[in-house]
Amino acid sequence: MIRTLFVLLVLLVLAAAATSVIPHLKMRTELDGAGLEYARRGLEDTGSINLVTAVIVAYRGLDTLGEVVVLFSAATSVMLILSLFPLGRGPTDPSFIVAHTARVLPAPIMLLAVYFTTHSHLSPGGGFPGGTIMASAFLLVMLGSSSTPAGSKILPALEALSGTTFGLLGLWGTMTLGQFLNNRVIGIGNPGYLVSAGIIPLVSLAIGVKVASEFSGIFAAFRKSGGNR
Amino acid sequence: MNVFYWTVAGTASGLIIVGLWGVLTRKNILRIGLAFTIADTGVNLLLVWSGYLPGRTTPILNGDVPAAEAVSAVVDPLPQALVLTSIVIGVAVAALFVVVAVLASRRLGTADIRRMKELKW
Repeated sequence: MIRTLFVLLVLLVLAAAATSVIPHLKMRTELDGAGLEYARRGLEDTGSINLVTAVIVAYRGLDTLGEVVVLFSAATSVMLILSLFPLGRGPTDPSFIVAHTARVLPAPIMLLAVYFTTHSHLSPGGGFPGGTIMASAFLLVMLGSSSTPAGSKILPALEALSGTTFGLLGLWGTMTLGQFLNNRVIGIGNPGYLVSAGIIPLVSLAIGVKVASEFSGIFAAFRKSGGNR
Repeated sequence: MNVFYWTVAGTASGLIIVGLWGVLTRKNILRIGLAFTIADTGVNLLLVWSGYLPGRTTPILNGDVPAAEAVSAVVDPLPQALVLTSIVIGVAVAALFVVVAVLASRRLGTADIRRMKELKW
């Protein structure tokens, strides 16, 4: 009883604090600050017609590298914890619907993921959503079988390769133009075309493969930690 | 008075409040993790909302939005790029939470936090 009252009190104070700022809120009607600069110069600077991708991969590419590191450390900790403390309950047989869906859907899911990853500079999408969708295809395949995945060396290899590619593409900019992850090292081409925007599509591809292999590694670690039936 | 603008703000704040309520009142450790991700979604929505400008379109300069008029035609691309970081950190936290929660409930034989006495004094 006292606990419920306390919870209600905390939430009420928070809600009151949130409502108290409403009169001071003004809807923005014009761009300002960094957003204004990105909208004004983004296309000219990077050749990417998708300004969000221009910010993520080119202007704030270093932050994205940090994000990939955060994701990497989370995936590594999950795999480490699960290998030290096995869950010890094997997989159950998939139901009829899951087993048959897992034979049909992974291919179209993969196609969508490749589209998202390679068209990041042209349409909504990018390495993170593309990689997550790729990993969901892997998860579906795994859920559709009753066996435990064998110890694969492909996932860690892909992860290391894509991470190194990201870093080297960034260093290429440092070497030639004196700026980490400058995407103009190979010229920005014709904006709006698939092969354009310098190294943005390549970096997106590297991020996509890295995210996909990390999530797939987490799923496989959960499955392996259960052991065989 | 833009109805859409305030609806999104209200939804985001509501998600945060519902998530905090779940964290404070639920007893099953997995549901607490789920409540955290609900609050997380609210925060992400609030971040995207902060970049909204009335009557403007997505920051993609294709044929519909000529590059010369970009400054007066698109919403702020910066919050949309920043929210990606927030989403990724949220996923990393959720993955670690699930692992620890599942291991704890398997070891102790229960997912009820009232019966997890190891961290209490």
